[in-house]
Amino acid sequence: MKSWMFFTVGVVLCWLLAGCEGEKPLESTRTTIDVWFHTGQPAEKAVIEDQVERFNRRQDRIYIKLTLIPEGDYNTQVQAAATDNKMPDLLDLDGPYLYNYAWKGHLLPLDNLVSPRIMAELLPSILAQGTYRGRLYSIGTFDSGLGLFGNGKKLRAVGARIPSSPDEAWSIAEFNKMLSELSRVDEDGMVLDLRMDYRGEWYTYAFSPAVQSGGGDLINRNDYQSSDGILNGPEAKAVLGHFQSWFKKKYIDANTDAASFTTNRVALSWCGHWEYPRYKKALGDDLLVLPLPDFGEGAKTGMGSWSWAITSKCRNPELAMEFLEFLLEPAEVIAMVNANGAVPATRTAISLSPLYKPGAPLNLFARQLEENAVPRPRTPAYPIITSVFQQAFQDIRYGADITETLDRAVKIIDQDIRDNHGYPDIGRAAKDRQGQ
Amino acid sequence: MKFSRAKFCGGNEKRMEELTAWLMATPAIFGLVIFIGLPFCLAVIFSLTTLKLDSPLPVEFCGIEQFQRIFADRGFRQALLNNTIFAAVVVPLQTMAALALALLLNRPLRGMIIFRTIFFMPVIFPMALIAIVFELIFAPGPNGLLNGFLIFLSNGHWQPLDFLHNPHTSLAAIMTLSIWQGVGFQMIVMLAGLQAIPVSLYEAAAMDGAGRWQRFVHITLPQMRNTIIFVALVTTILAFRLFDQVWILTQGGPNRATTTVMFETVRAIFKRQDVARGAAMSVIFFMIVLTITILQRWLAKEKREIE
Repeated sequence: MKSWMFFTVGVVLCWLLAGCEGEKPLESTRTTIDVWFHTGQPAEKAVIEDQVERFNRRQDRIYIKLTLIPEGDYNTQVQAAATDNKMPDLLDLDGPYLYNYAWKGHLLPLDNLVSPRIMAELLPSILAQGTYRGRLYSIGTFDSGLGLFGNGKKLRAVGARIPSSPDEAWSIAEFNKMLSELSRVDEDGMVLDLRMDYRGEWYTYAFSPAVQSGGGDLINRNDYQSSDGILNGPEAKAVLGHFQSWFKKKYIDANTDAASFTTNRVALSWCGHWEYPRYKKALGDDLLVLPLPDFGEGAKTGMGSWSWAITSKCRNPELAMEFLEFLLEPAEVIAMVNANGAVPATRTAISLSPLYKPGAPLNLFARQLEENAVPRPRTPAYPIITSVFQQAFQDIRYGADITETLDRAVKIIDQDIRDNHGYPDIGRAAKDRQGQ
Repeated sequence: MKFSRAKFCGGNEKRMEELTAWLMATPAIFGLVIFIGLPFCLAVIFSLTTLKLDSPLPVEFCGIEQFQRIFADRGFRQALLNNTIFAAVVVPLQTMAALALALLLNRPLRGMIIFRTIFFMPVIFPMALIAIVFELIFAPGPNGLLNGFLIFLSNGHWQPLDFLHNPHTSLAAIMTLSIWQGVGFQMIVMLAGLQAIPVSLYEAAAMDGAGRWQRFVHITLPQMRNTIIFVALVTTILAFRLFDQVWILTQGGPNRATTTVMFETVRAIFKRQDVARGAAMSVIFFMIVLTITILQRWLAKEKREIE
């Protein structure tokens, strides 16, 4: 009996050891860098897998170990890993969540790691979003573009002026008049698509630029200590009042089937670069790419997308940066944006991109990032700000009193900032900034 | 049992029996302490602090401030109210529907097992799947399934509604799909209760000339009393736990018309990173469930005393 047990244990042990031995030989001789990447679009996933494989083959010091995590749960997973001290070396983060991680000390500043050549190449929008309290914490390989997609036939039918650059954007009065004219000749009167089929971050990404264009904002950006008088100021109220009136007048298509624009139900779709391929296919030459309307203080638009950050857990930041710089080479940036349609993050890549170079159909989005795009608030309070704004926008959509809704939103944001003592520099994040 | 106990009931034996009982109960008690007792104590402690999710700031004790804030928050009060309305409507409706279904399916008919399976099926489906199916049923515009059906019924007079996003209909829509999903489980419990009623009672009643309705009122209902109380209790607790449907379909909207205590708790912790606030909410939630349970125990006990 006993010998039989020893035998079994022995066999199992041998098997386990053999299993370990059989692992990829690459790992043993090289330094492993753990990398996390979100997976949303299948094309994006294929590109990153290919990039990792090529990088692993072209040098013999670094082994990139890629873990793919579904987009829907990504932030929760990263937050859980951070709480549990199980972050990878390098990971991509969804836009403005970055500042919260940076404040908590989970990320390493990159400005001393990245080469000046790459720094000079990056779009200002990429640097703006990656910076928190004076230090660069993340670098995206692509950015996003937000605007209005127009149905040329429908717009020309009501004699609408077609703006071609942000400074020619429709004024809000012009836009309102156009909506009412479009609605009068439309079959069901619903002429504008605000992508109400999206949820979560979309609301803040897409509609806070409108608030900024009207002269309001989500928070006072001088010190990021309060939203009072900013998010519930007269400017923000006026902008959200326009949105509420569009819903009340039934201009907005609920778009539950995500096809209101492609099936010609609406004349305008407030949307991002990612829908360009599908819209282009549906409308062909009738598709127009337009700036968002100007709510008073000049047209503004959104920016920001997924971007790479090195965690404070990483023991070989230079090696992680080597992989990141590989991803920022023009050919690699182009490979990624060809898959997801996003705006390339480097100037060279833009000049090479058939979609974004000057004169190309989406050049407006590249121009906007240099001219009138606003980063979402760079504060660790962002997760709270966005969740409150999303809720407020939803409430206003369904007819809630604007003043009351925004006052309540401000109260929650201000209370959170007070609860966190104004998000002071603390722990290792403070040390990083002192060592600057 | 009674006989053997009378025979061997020495003092030593009894103590041994007690010891065995405790020994047998140990795993369950251990589980209760680890998975219910400890988390609850932690929740109470957290709710008295300023604990945030993964914050570098030191945690501070703040007394009952979290509770004061929660009760001052219109969203949370609305959530409590929604849960109460939901329970007040769903519990009686679902319990009655379950009893009716159980009566219907408690007949010695051929193929009855198939019907029982069909009615039980929604319980096995994940809520996410059911929510998506009902999203299609409740779809706005004349092409939505329910709207289309109502237009057909009313000969074109029905004005299509956006059921899930209309403040007047959204909670009712959530109730409908919840009842549809949950009724199967209650039905099975009721069926078990029905089958435990001795047939002799019905035979005796029939011989005394009692009609169907009289047999139902005087035999079935009294015999089912404890089962019905149990079903109502479980449904009430589930009603207060309402979350999945809301998360998937309405996100608490429109205008908080479908927000619930559970939904507010999850949002507090995972969207606002406010662990203390979420903990305080779950303490309140626990108190509500505890009160309901004690009430049910008390009701059921009265019954036993009458017997």
